[in-house]
Amino acid sequence: MNFDIIVIGAGIIGCSTAYYLSKAGYKVGLVEKGDIASGTSSRCDAVALISDKKPGIDTDIGYKSIQMYKELAKELSFDFQFSSRGSLYVCETEQELEIAIGYAAQQRSDGYRMQIVDQKELLEIEPKLAKDLMGGIWTEVDSTMNPYLVCYAFIEEAKKYGLKLFTNHEVREIDRGVHGRIEKVITDKGIIRTERIVNCAGVWASQIGDMVGIDIPIRPRKGMILVTEKTDRIVNQKVHEFGYMLSKFEDINYKRNVSKLVENHNIAFTIEPTDADNYLVGGHRAFNGYDIRSENQVIRGIAERAMRFLPVLKDVSCIRTYAGIRPWVIDHLPIVSEVEEVPGFYIASGHEGDGISMAPITGKMITQLISGEKTDFDISRLRFSRYKEAIIS
Amino acid sequence: MTAEKTIVCRCEEVTLGTIQDTVQTYCCSSREVKLRTRAGMGYCGGRTCRHVIDRVVAEITKEPIKDEVQLSYRSPIRPATFAVLGGGKHDNES
Repeated sequence: MNFDIIVIGAGIIGCSTAYYLSKAGYKVGLVEKGDIASGTSSRCDAVALISDKKPGIDTDIGYKSIQMYKELAKELSFDFQFSSRGSLYVCETEQELEIAIGYAAQQRSDGYRMQIVDQKELLEIEPKLAKDLMGGIWTEVDSTMNPYLVCYAFIEEAKKYGLKLFTNHEVREIDRGVHGRIEKVITDKGIIRTERIVNCAGVWASQIGDMVGIDIPIRPRKGMILVTEKTDRIVNQKVHEFGYMLSKFEDINYKRNVSKLVENHNIAFTIEPTDADNYLVGGHRAFNGYDIRSENQVIRGIAERAMRFLPVLKDVSCIRTYAGIRPWVIDHLPIVSEVEEVPGFYIASGHEGDGISMAPITGKMITQLISGEKTDFDISRLRFSRYKEAIIS
Repeated sequence: MTAEKTIVCRCEEVTLGTIQDTVQTYCCSSREVKLRTRAGMGYCGGRTCRHVIDRVVAEITKEPIKDEVQLSYRSPIRPATFAVLGGGKHDNES
């Protein structure tokens, strides 16, 4: 078997990358150790936001990606439940609102629509919220979809362009030839010849990196979600506490007045409606290896925090909980890059919680990199070599 | 009773016909059937129907049912309200 490009990992990044590469005319094989979307992409929430991104490239590519989803929702034959419902940040204190206002002002000066709402407007938009919240940010462009259906949609479409799917094929070795060029991918089922590899293995990307002797600094960062029963409208859109930003980025200097349980587990309230009328309630961030078991203390903390913002939840049942692991990198920007020391080897991983958000633009820009075209954005900050430079300097 | 009228997943009202069609179209695992049809994703968390789904998938794909659980249960064991899960005082609170 011979392919122009082998994509490793059929999560949302690998599925998108395989789609854009196949569409560009390459002969692509997608190799996955389990099923489609059997890792992080089926154990996550369901949104593409700009309001959880830092101003600059983070927001720029997030915004572009949402625009691409809008087009994909029309183009692709498979419905992935996309809708632009907007999202609402809620602030508990004056001080939080002040930080939020500063953040929104910065985003607005970059041309993004974010609207500050006061207490009264907050309750008009979402009447079931607690009455004592100070206000928040409403972001109209923020969108939602079903992440594993997006994966199926990409695959379905890519197959029309000739994509060959190898699920339940685990990559064991990568063979290189003269000048270290990629030659073969060896799986537990056989040998696949190719000159190029795109490593879209997410939290497992560093294990694939080890096979070509490079150190990819991605670590799994766990998050848990509580699924509610089907119920009447609790909220109409994604609602999250501004403290969510504080749990995501370590460099924001603000401490919430929360219980030890909530603080110790780095829990921040978030809820989103799904097409099935269940709600997903989260969330938390923790470094706990590859363990994705549900933890009772975290369930307790998430439920406690959620009721503070939406008291109506107290009578709503949680029917299931799940956890997933995000591919975290220290500077919170994905790696979308070639690897100079390994000719033919590319990385598209490390999106942490933004994989759904950034999948289309990531797939497109990897395709541009491989084709030698100019990328849609200046992605020098997404280069893999940034970690080497950091160590040297 | 036809496959179109036989309900396998009662919570999400997924019929035997839908499950059979999905397995035949995508030649997929029980897990993928669940994600594609929502069978087993409802109020009971698949406790009622998951063995039936496994059997239907095994019959069509001709792969024997493995000993390991294909469709896993998730905590909590039965639905519980947020008040029960998150209420009350916590031992570690001062």
